[in-house]
Amino acid sequence: MVLGVTVLVFALNAAALGDPARAAMGQRADPETLERLRREYALDRPLPVQYATWLARLARADLGESFREQRPVREVIVERLPATARLALAATLVSVVFGVGIGAIAAVRARSTLDHVLMGLAVLGISTPVFWLGLMLALVFSVTLGWLPVSGYGDGALRNLVLPAVTLGALHMGTVARMTRSSLLEVVRQDFMATARAKGLSEWTVLGKHALRNALVPVVTVIGIGLADLLVGAPLTETVFAWPGVGRLLVAAVGQRDLPVVMGAVLVFALVYVLGNLLVDLAYLVIDPRMRDAVRA
Amino acid sequence: MTRAALVAALALGVIVAGLAGAAGAAKPGGTLRMVFVSDPPTLDPAHASDLTSSAVIRQVFDALLELDDKLVPAPALAERWMVSADHRTYTFHLRRGAKFHNGREVRAADVKYSFERAARGKRPWVFEKLVGAPEFIKGAAAEISGVRVIDDATIELRLERPFAPFLHLVAYDAASIVPREEVDKRGAGFASHPVGTGAFRFVSWRRDDQVVLERFPEHFRGPAHLERVVFRVIPAEATRFNEYVTGQLDVTDIPTGRCRAVQADPKLKADVAIWPTLGTSALRFNVERAPFSDVRVRRAIAHAIDPTIIVDRLLEGCVTPAPGIVPPVLAGWTATARRVPLDRERARSLLAEAGFPSGRGLGPLAYHFNTSDANQRIAELIQAQLKEIGVTLELRRLDWAAHIKLVDDGSAGFFRQGWIADYPDPENFLTVLFHSRNVGAPGNTSRYRNPAVDRLLDEADTMPSGAPRMKRYQEAEQMILDDAVWISLYFYASRGLIKPHVKGLERSAQSTAPEFLAPLRKVWLER
Repeated sequence: MVLGVTVLVFALNAAALGDPARAAMGQRADPETLERLRREYALDRPLPVQYATWLARLARADLGESFREQRPVREVIVERLPATARLALAATLVSVVFGVGIGAIAAVRARSTLDHVLMGLAVLGISTPVFWLGLMLALVFSVTLGWLPVSGYGDGALRNLVLPAVTLGALHMGTVARMTRSSLLEVVRQDFMATARAKGLSEWTVLGKHALRNALVPVVTVIGIGLADLLVGAPLTETVFAWPGVGRLLVAAVGQRDLPVVMGAVLVFALVYVLGNLLVDLAYLVIDPRMRDAVRA
Repeated sequence: MTRAALVAALALGVIVAGLAGAAGAAKPGGTLRMVFVSDPPTLDPAHASDLTSSAVIRQVFDALLELDDKLVPAPALAERWMVSADHRTYTFHLRRGAKFHNGREVRAADVKYSFERAARGKRPWVFEKLVGAPEFIKGAAAEISGVRVIDDATIELRLERPFAPFLHLVAYDAASIVPREEVDKRGAGFASHPVGTGAFRFVSWRRDDQVVLERFPEHFRGPAHLERVVFRVIPAEATRFNEYVTGQLDVTDIPTGRCRAVQADPKLKADVAIWPTLGTSALRFNVERAPFSDVRVRRAIAHAIDPTIIVDRLLEGCVTPAPGIVPPVLAGWTATARRVPLDRERARSLLAEAGFPSGRGLGPLAYHFNTSDANQRIAELIQAQLKEIGVTLELRRLDWAAHIKLVDDGSAGFFRQGWIADYPDPENFLTVLFHSRNVGAPGNTSRYRNPAVDRLLDEADTMPSGAPRMKRYQEAEQMILDDAVWISLYFYASRGLIKPHVKGLERSAQSTAPEFLAPLRKVWLER
């Protein structure tokens, strides 16, 4: 799958108009320098040869050299990866904690006004554009109230992470909340729930220990799928909050036709998606004993 | 003393006191916080080709000369220079005691090394006038023979032929002086860790986040006022504005469409800084492509376009309509050119003469422009204006990389293109953009070939500065406008917000934005 993605990206880049050598030259470019740059970037070779060369380098863990920054792509990506990883993890945390919490409360108070309000918020979270939400949060919490910084990495300070994480997390929080609610409502109708209550357990224990655990399997699936939302939302969130991550790097690289960086960044995103979903599969084994038994069998 | 004399004396007193106060207020210390829209691709003067990189390079490095606030070449690493009678040989005497940030003194050999290194970089045109440079750039010579080290403190530059703006090239950031040992030691890493002689030395660069510089105490002019300069990188316009409003930036740009709003805002109006710069926004035709190969079609379109509406309604009057190609803010330039006037009747009759009465038979014409909100709105307005003479425009919006490719290779027939001067001379507008030897990517994307214009430009390029030289450029400019290969829209202006406590920030016509070009060694913070 990952290789398929790289073929697709390479083909799309080749189909897109634009010359990386020309894009690197500013408003004026003399033909000899352009030719020299094209030779240096190996753009004078046929496309299949260019792709095969990239693949051969990849086999040696070499992602090539950025046209724009004139240094190894690995270096370019590695220095931005921690920022994106922090943002993605924090956003996942926001979406899971708030999503599961909101979904659970809505399920407990199903069909009440609170349920409608919470589900309304969930739909709002899903449908609100990341860019707009980010700007609004910054206007309220940074410009008006002055509680948090408007943007920037701020030497890794936690307060700089809050708004980007909430913005990116909100995108997925709604989906998690809706799935938690519907899954919990499904589970509470099962017979074992009546047994748990008959044993005299408190309602919160019944919900937290028995219902939620059983309801988590579809929720975890949604969290896995939601990785795609995070990866799509990362470039926009990083742009709004001037967050120095791989998403912004990718946007700039596409604009500059910096193919090695585009390929490298997409490869990282594809790997994160694949590995994330692998982790989700492993999580099933932890959550659902029936799956452990199935694996043993 | 008469009343008038008394008033004059008082006024003079106020001015003198003000100047003394201003001079006395230059306090050392503090951090200036500026902002870029995008990360600089490099901090190596040989490999830079964009304004963002240059903005940092100009603070970290010095060239032999620099441009003063009137854009006149002034001493920098060279304390004086002599020009031969034939205007082909320039001898520069280096300042004694000027040091690189690594502590070594600058020598003439550094100049030769830096020039030859940069000549094979991204801006070889800065050096191509030197004897032997074209061969060296192509790799056919081992050195630029026109760059000769006389002794440790003297270097001679010899030109193939006289070139009046040559000193501006010597002051250009591509001609910054670099220490060979640092380049050798760091290799490609020099671009991420530059070492120069500038008033500020490099501290750190977190990509896509910020570049930090600190003052170099041993700078040959003495230490700068500012302790530090931080260039943050913030791509979103609204975020930059919010950072400025919350006091986290000292300088920023005015958001698109808010030029009048900030001028009316009681909290911001004192911070607004707008000044004309050396750039022109225009529409261009590829004269090799039908129907634009017919001057009547080009002139008809030019007659139908009213740039004053673009300036007043879309750009909120924060720029000025451009009657010509060369901005009047250029020192020594008298703007005489007149664009093809707005006359829709004449436009219709020219179309009919060309065989397209009321635009019939012309079909939809593609208009290419690069992505931006302002460009989109301008394109829509032009579309509406041309509709009035029966010309249908099809808008083709592409990102910069795709747009410039179509423009350079001649695929676009009618397109948007602006020009920002590399150095303040009409040659940089007219010869670069319209001489037949520069067809395509070097600048003449109109693919315009007019022997009469070429002759005027060739003569002017090699003449010494003065009225006869300017007269030739003026004649050429009018011929180009009459041929309607270029329709000027407006002259660029630098539009920024600068906090009142920032003092000494030069507003040069070469600074397309407050963060560009201005020598930050002159800036201090009053708070």
